[in-house]
Amino acid sequence: MEKPVIETRHISKRFDMTQALCDVSLDLYPGEVHALVGENGAGKSTLIKILTGIHRPDEGEILLDGKAVQIHNSQDAQALGIAAIYQEPMVFPDLNVAENIFISHQDRGKFVRWGKMYKDAEAVLAKLDVKLNVRSQARGLTLAAQQAVEIAKAISLQARVLIMDEPTASLSAHEVQQLFKLIRSLRSQGVSILFIGHRLEEVFEISDRITVLRDGMKISSKLRSEATTEGVIRDMVGREIKDFFLKGATKRGDLLMSVRNLSKAGVFRGISFDVYGGEVLGFAGLIGSRRTDVCLALFGIEPADSGEIIFEGKPQKIRSPQQALELGITYASEDRRKLGLTMPMSIASNISLPMLPRYMNVLGLIRRHEEIAAAEEFRRRLMIRAESVNVPVERLSGGNQQKVMLSKWLNANPKVLILDEPTRGIDVGAKAEVHHMINDLTDRGLAVILVSSDLPEVLAMSDRILVMREGRQMGIFEKAQATEETIMTAAMGQNHNVAEVAA
Amino acid sequence: MKRLLSMTSPERVRELILILLIVLVSLFFSSQIPNYFNARFFNRVSTSVAITAVIAIGQTLVFLTRNFDLSVGSIVGFTAYFVGQQLTRNNDIPPALAVLMAVGIGVVMGAINGVIISYGRVPSIITTIGTLAVYRTLLIEFSDAQTVLTAKLPKWVVDLPRVNIISFGDLDIRLVVGIMLLVVVIFQFVLTYLPFGRRLYAIGSNPEAARNAGFPSQQIVFIAFVLSGALSGLAGFLFLARFGNVTVVAGQGLEFASIAAIVVGGVSNNGGSGTVFGALLGAIMIDLLENSLIRWLAISEFWRDAILGMLILLAVASDKLVLSKLRSIWTRSELQITDETVVEKQEAEHHVAKA
Repeated sequence: MEKPVIETRHISKRFDMTQALCDVSLDLYPGEVHALVGENGAGKSTLIKILTGIHRPDEGEILLDGKAVQIHNSQDAQALGIAAIYQEPMVFPDLNVAENIFISHQDRGKFVRWGKMYKDAEAVLAKLDVKLNVRSQARGLTLAAQQAVEIAKAISLQARVLIMDEPTASLSAHEVQQLFKLIRSLRSQGVSILFIGHRLEEVFEISDRITVLRDGMKISSKLRSEATTEGVIRDMVGREIKDFFLKGATKRGDLLMSVRNLSKAGVFRGISFDVYGGEVLGFAGLIGSRRTDVCLALFGIEPADSGEIIFEGKPQKIRSPQQALELGITYASEDRRKLGLTMPMSIASNISLPMLPRYMNVLGLIRRHEEIAAAEEFRRRLMIRAESVNVPVERLSGGNQQKVMLSKWLNANPKVLILDEPTRGIDVGAKAEVHHMINDLTDRGLAVILVSSDLPEVLAMSDRILVMREGRQMGIFEKAQATEETIMTAAMGQNHNVAEVAA
Repeated sequence: MKRLLSMTSPERVRELILILLIVLVSLFFSSQIPNYFNARFFNRVSTSVAITAVIAIGQTLVFLTRNFDLSVGSIVGFTAYFVGQQLTRNNDIPPALAVLMAVGIGVVMGAINGVIISYGRVPSIITTIGTLAVYRTLLIEFSDAQTVLTAKLPKWVVDLPRVNIISFGDLDIRLVVGIMLLVVVIFQFVLTYLPFGRRLYAIGSNPEAARNAGFPSQQIVFIAFVLSGALSGLAGFLFLARFGNVTVVAGQGLEFASIAAIVVGGVSNNGGSGTVFGALLGAIMIDLLENSLIRWLAISEFWRDAILGMLILLAVASDKLVLSKLRSIWTRSELQITDETVVEKQEAEHHVAKA
């Protein structure tokens, strides 16, 4: 048997609270396409970042041709013949195709010889059977063409290991086939490819071997001939539901909101669901399934192009967050830092921010004591751990920041609360508190839309689960039918029957 | 058509449009101002372009990396004053040494900017607003509020602006213009043929990709600021030669003139695109407008800056529009070159429609 080009041995990596990778050993043989699959947060990205020198492993080693190597930065990776291509290509839009291919080369002399560079670029592209004008700016190229340029760049740098992180995510079906042709041609030239994918049919089509990661651990590694779709999905899921608080059965209240055929060109389409008071509607799906985009549309940040939103019996066009707030829809965003909270401002100021007119006196000045009283109320109710509500939010822990954000939106007295990844990056204790609070809110008759990539969390907390995949609704599952397998199967687009029946 | 497009680029076409506009502006003013175009006016504009363009080229290098250099005017002022004073005290300083001194001061001042921005990670806009004030204060402190006087300068400096290289009839191409053209040629070469130049574009075009590609980005940005300082130093020397009298406000406003010039000349404020030739055209446009407005009696001098400002805004706004239109023409023709791509698009659309 041939020797592997690159091997990782017992790699572990920890970020604060989370063990991103735990004792992962992986090998890649010459001329092999090795697929890496796993749920969001399974550790795929961390592994790539370790191989390309962005992160350093806490434990374990990387072997190239059987010799241990240290990869400190991207130059090291490049020098060792490891290249990575991401979902969003990293080209220089202002430079032309040929320059993009050769920009990292150190060996092309003191001066840029344009004529020679164009000829060499054409030769590299010809070898890959890619038709592109080497003189055109990268700016105007399609994503697929930009990827081809990046692959050409990697090849021209004599890359032996090519890591492709979800390269097909934004490609059309035809472009995917073009890319696969390219991958096969690279494989026949002896290049080893680590292929990270979310679409199982593609993974089965292109790869020679399939490795499944879950919670930072390697679960299985099988030759394609020995692997089955069901087996891979089973390996990806199967997490223990131990940290979760099971949502008690609440009485389904009145119909609050109906969404029919909501669409936004190029983003999502055909989203239809009902939300009742006192219920949690879960949104499940993998990264790129566009769940957040649907939420942004419901909250009016990025309004939908077509479709109906019927709120309490009346059709509504939601064009701005202001309008959504007036109706009683609030959205607590996934990214607390970017969209949700104003970090240097105090807890009280953050909570009152969307509802400032409520706290204004006749002169338009803010009645500070009322603002603080309201914030104090939330501090008690949600157990926000801070010495006072005048503390800047940036000084709080992630879990407490999350609670401030929830307070901010609860203060708006919503009827429908959209929570986008409310427990990402917070510790187990704070998670449980958030879950308690969701339960508490639904008891009061609120409807909660819970977007979460944490499958056990969605399963534990939701009354019904809507599964999305690449901007399409794959189905809505009642709690009784929902298992990790059924959800994951729908999220990966494996069972079209389910989708059609439910939609 | 396709062949025509492949021979040029949207950026080239934009430069051609700018040349055309410069001609149109000249024609407009010659219809408004009697005896508009004469040898004196040509020299006046060309000498002032020589100074603006040299600074603008340095500014271009910095702009390409998505940075600003607002301290250029103060560097020009300081070097003009400092070199002027040395020459006043010692008339025997050889010309080469005087130029070297000017460039040297510029290098030091540029290096200070570069260190703070590149290695200290302070945003360039803040850093250079700071050094703009610091370098100007140094000048005031150093000069003791005295003025360098033409009468006390060596003769060769005073005569320099009138030294001719070549004349076309009444029109003289002066040595200072020659120096400027040399700088244009050198830096056009640097930006086109040296890996350093290409990396300036790369860093501004996609900083993250530049980091991933393993460029020494910090070092490259540092060098861009050093070069901007050096060129401002050279411009300071040209400034001294042109005006002779140098006061403590010398060079004030040149930071804005240089930015106006390169923005009009098509250097992107998002970095990554623009040429030295474009910067030169921009400098010509700005100085032509300014000097013409001075002579246009229909406009009161109080309105002159406002009008200049509005014209620049107009130019930049329409430029963005024109460039995006031009680019889409090129992109479309690109798609036709590879017929496959079009088929691919149709298939993709069909795919979407079906699903």
